[in-house]
Amino acid sequence: MAPAIDPAERLLDLVIALVNTSGRMTKQQVRSSVAGYQDAVSDEAFERMFERDKDTLRELGVPVLTVTDARHGDDVGYRIDPDAYALPAVQLTPAELGVLSLAVQVWQDATLRADTSRALTKLRAVGEGPSATDLLAGLAPRVRADGSAFGPLVEAVQERRLVRFTYRAASSGEVRDRTVEPWRLLARRGGWVLVGRDRDRGAARSFRLGRIQGAVRAVGAPAAFAPPTDAELADAMAAWAPGPERVATLAVLPDRAAALRARATAPGDVDAAAIPGAPQLLAGRDLVHVRYRSTWELAEELVGYGAAVVVLDPPGVRDAVLDLLRTAARLDVPQAVDHG
Amino acid sequence: MAERAPDRLLRMLGMVAYLESHDAVAVDDLAAQFGVTPDQVLADIDTLWVTGTPGYLPYDLIDFDATAYERGVVRLVESRGLARPLRLGGREAVALVAALRSMAASLAPALDDERAAVLRSALAKVTAAAGDAAAAVDVQLPAAATPQVGAVVGDALARGRRLRIRYVDAGDRTSEREVDPIRLVSQDERSYLLAWCRASDGERLFRVDRVVAAEVLDAPAEEHGVPERAEVFTPAGGEPVTLHLASQGRWIVETTPAEAVRDLPDGSFEVDLQVVQPAWLRHLLLQAAHAVVDVRPPEVAHDAAAFARRALAAYAPLVPAGEGS
Repeated sequence: MAPAIDPAERLLDLVIALVNTSGRMTKQQVRSSVAGYQDAVSDEAFERMFERDKDTLRELGVPVLTVTDARHGDDVGYRIDPDAYALPAVQLTPAELGVLSLAVQVWQDATLRADTSRALTKLRAVGEGPSATDLLAGLAPRVRADGSAFGPLVEAVQERRLVRFTYRAASSGEVRDRTVEPWRLLARRGGWVLVGRDRDRGAARSFRLGRIQGAVRAVGAPAAFAPPTDAELADAMAAWAPGPERVATLAVLPDRAAALRARATAPGDVDAAAIPGAPQLLAGRDLVHVRYRSTWELAEELVGYGAAVVVLDPPGVRDAVLDLLRTAARLDVPQAVDHG
Repeated sequence: MAERAPDRLLRMLGMVAYLESHDAVAVDDLAAQFGVTPDQVLADIDTLWVTGTPGYLPYDLIDFDATAYERGVVRLVESRGLARPLRLGGREAVALVAALRSMAASLAPALDDERAAVLRSALAKVTAAAGDAAAAVDVQLPAAATPQVGAVVGDALARGRRLRIRYVDAGDRTSEREVDPIRLVSQDERSYLLAWCRASDGERLFRVDRVVAAEVLDAPAEEHGVPERAEVFTPAGGEPVTLHLASQGRWIVETTPAEAVRDLPDGSFEVDLQVVQPAWLRHLLLQAAHAVVDVRPPEVAHDAAAFARRALAAYAPLVPAGEGS
């Protein structure tokens, strides 16, 4: 018996056969003529091998078409669509390939790292020379995938398939199955977010990928829902857009909060001296102005300085800080915390 | 571990497309182009040479110039329909575009004009090659550093030079030190400078948002043999602390390295932490105050609460007594 053919070689022979076929190839033709499939010891083994290879090729971006022929009834055949096969015309410089090599290191998740690495392999074919890796030496950008949901969700977004998953809502702690039309994935501070339409609620919702429990399952056929309108999508993403840039006015103890001072900015249009009580505070403190976009993010940062930093303006930031401080001031009082 | 078949397939397809547009390529150059060893290239060419259309007679097969090959030069004679480079798969395109966009967002302050331009052009080309797939993701991440500090740190890393930094620690104490920078690790949450601290003679992770000033020195950065994954934060020693948190505090376990997390039936959960810096934990408790149900040991809660009460007292001139409490 001849030695078994390497799987990569069998896949390559299948690609070449389906690219060059006149019309289509049936499974039986594949089994009898493409090198490697004669190794299958039974009908079942062949079926498994062929189905897996076909899935692998499609996952890799090879456009394997299913072709039915009226004259042959249910007997389906396959071919590769030459018009969809190729990469758009593009050339990459060695420096650009070097950037892509670093991009492979960005993902902390093995599956997405493998996907990125495969994209790089394909793009090396259109490189003007080998990748120059020293360009971004010393830089190590990292992105977490927040679990295993990213890959399946990307595929479902692209195919417009419904997804079902178990989700833990942070607001209530409730764990429930969701059925969602996936629209888009957002990378934001704190992790990945899926926006889409919650089928049960009949409304747009956001889901943090890190709060999805277990596997994401695509259910039903592709193109199962209409894409969101621009207005629907903009609405759903609005909550994740950065707010307008504003300036907060702070009273800071001498020699403290150097990190805030380092990013101090010009005063806004607020007259600190006119704020009731401020002159008394400023007798022993410095006036520092910082830019911010999110009230709660700034408040959460400022509480870390305790008495060293007092918020003079705006009232929204001051109230958010006071709210956290008043709640924290009761942390050592038994049973004082509201469980709601 | 043996290479997976899909990865080898893609490289072989890529080689055929590359050779189609390059007349004759030395084995060593082909190896460099695809980031593999020359031996791997020879194995790939040998496989390509025996693949083709069914029948597998000589004119069915992918073919190379045998005379050139004996001299270590690869010249493609027949590509059997594989001349064009393969498009990106949907997940591949998104994974690469998302990685490049996050690099563009987080690294921007650390790149000079030339390197920023290369990153932009790579992103533009890949986005065009990805087609519709690129629309599946939207990336908006904070920059790794302020423009001033980022530019200095990026410059020191690019030129392999020592840095002098002013650094504020978790307890709001400022110090000045000389460091040999190793890597700028940018993450979605915040970024770190991994560097060899000459004062403490060891590697340290510096939060870049707490580097308040940085200056490139004339001295070259020394090599210190720091391991590849040294930037993964692994608290050594420290005090064990357990927080019982309501569900709204879930973000804490999503952003903090925890020893263990236990979900409880009512939707709340407990998280075990190893705390090296008490000031860090105190800040965490103040941020998460609304979600805290219980803290063990209780002295930790007392310390945070006392800290909050002192801060409230500082607001006394602004907030008339009795208001809001």
